[in-house]
Amino acid sequence: MEHVDELIPAHALRSLDPADEQQVVAHLEECERCRRMLSDYEGVAASLAYAAPRAVPPPELRDRLLAAVEPVVEAPSLEAAPRSRFAWWPRAATVAVPVLAACVIGLVVWNVSLRNDLNTTKDSLAQNRTVHVDGVGNLVADQGGNVTLYADMAPAPAGKVYEAWVIGSSGPIPAGTFQGGGTIMLDLSAQARPGDQVAITIEPAGGSNKPTSSPVASASV
Amino acid sequence: MPDRQTGKDPHTEHLSDHGLLALVARGDREAFARLYDLYSEAAYSLAVRIVRDRDLAADVVQDAFLAVWKQASRFDARRGQPSTWILTVTHHKAVDLVRREDRRRAEPLDEVRAGADPAPSVEERAWLGVTREQVRTALRRLPDPHREVLELAYFDGYTQSELAERLALPLGTVKSRTFAAMAALRTALQAMGITMEDEWNTSTS
Repeated sequence: MEHVDELIPAHALRSLDPADEQQVVAHLEECERCRRMLSDYEGVAASLAYAAPRAVPPPELRDRLLAAVEPVVEAPSLEAAPRSRFAWWPRAATVAVPVLAACVIGLVVWNVSLRNDLNTTKDSLAQNRTVHVDGVGNLVADQGGNVTLYADMAPAPAGKVYEAWVIGSSGPIPAGTFQGGGTIMLDLSAQARPGDQVAITIEPAGGSNKPTSSPVASASV
Repeated sequence: MPDRQTGKDPHTEHLSDHGLLALVARGDREAFARLYDLYSEAAYSLAVRIVRDRDLAADVVQDAFLAVWKQASRFDARRGQPSTWILTVTHHKAVDLVRREDRRRAEPLDEVRAGADPAPSVEERAWLGVTREQVRTALRRLPDPHREVLELAYFDGYTQSELAERLALPLGTVKSRTFAAMAALRTALQAMGITMEDEWNTSTS
């Protein structure tokens, strides 16, 4: 077997060009010795991180992360959301997007009014309320109605984006777009009040001002 | 219960990184918080250096730690240190981001550097016991051309052929220089007493 020693240090630096990269990755699949060599050189590369000028992460980052991994509290199932909730949604908007069937869509809802009286501890996390839906994602809302969506879903179909909406009495308000394909964090650009719904649709790239398709996920806040 | 301000928790404080990661694999948030406290500063410093923007760097670190949270159960302890893994994941996400957005050719680092290196504010567990000063010393002692390829590749996300173009060198020269620079850094770290996994070196093809 042809080892790839000469390419492994550059691979550990993530500096290989695509063709070499493919060659190394294929070889690593079947070569324990080269995997050990890579582990070693990943350590050498990681040491370089300590040569970077020291920068202190913002404290909110810790809160955000811990909120994102909050354990299951209570999660209204997306499937359980009654269809009638969307009866007002424009008929013409039911554009079939078959790719969607395969998408794992994350959306979690947090109920402000229900939980306000719980856990009023000094814990900074308690100011944010999170509910987790298994295998889906989180929605985190603070006391002021600011909502952050953490979602893990398949990439949006080509030429499309996911768009989040806050739906109150005046209809859907655009709240931001994202691509999917990995864990995303999106601070919704519209605030949600108790009773509002948060929904996600698939929209043409760039997003829409009004939803043009049925929600792929939604829940009421 | 852990003190949320410091992340100190009598149940996790004495654990090794491997022990912490094993708990994280079972969904233990306190162990996760502890790992974050130990390595977030190194990860964030690295991300700021690469993406040159504090907000983007925070997103990178968040992505990296969420990946750690989700993939902890698949971590193979024989394949190295959790700290290496965390920093490797962070590095990949940061480099992928600058390549996507082609940020690295942009602004100089002055703004970022000006605000850098404040006094240590949080506890930090050094990578395999190595200190910042040790790494910087090891790097300083490398010949300039070696240090140059390492920094351009690792911090600025240049691929080998991009390096060849930028340095006006044949690709073969860049490849052998990168190899030699990494080998030299590895030797320097070993000379400082940092243990490396060395088994691959003795076995033959």
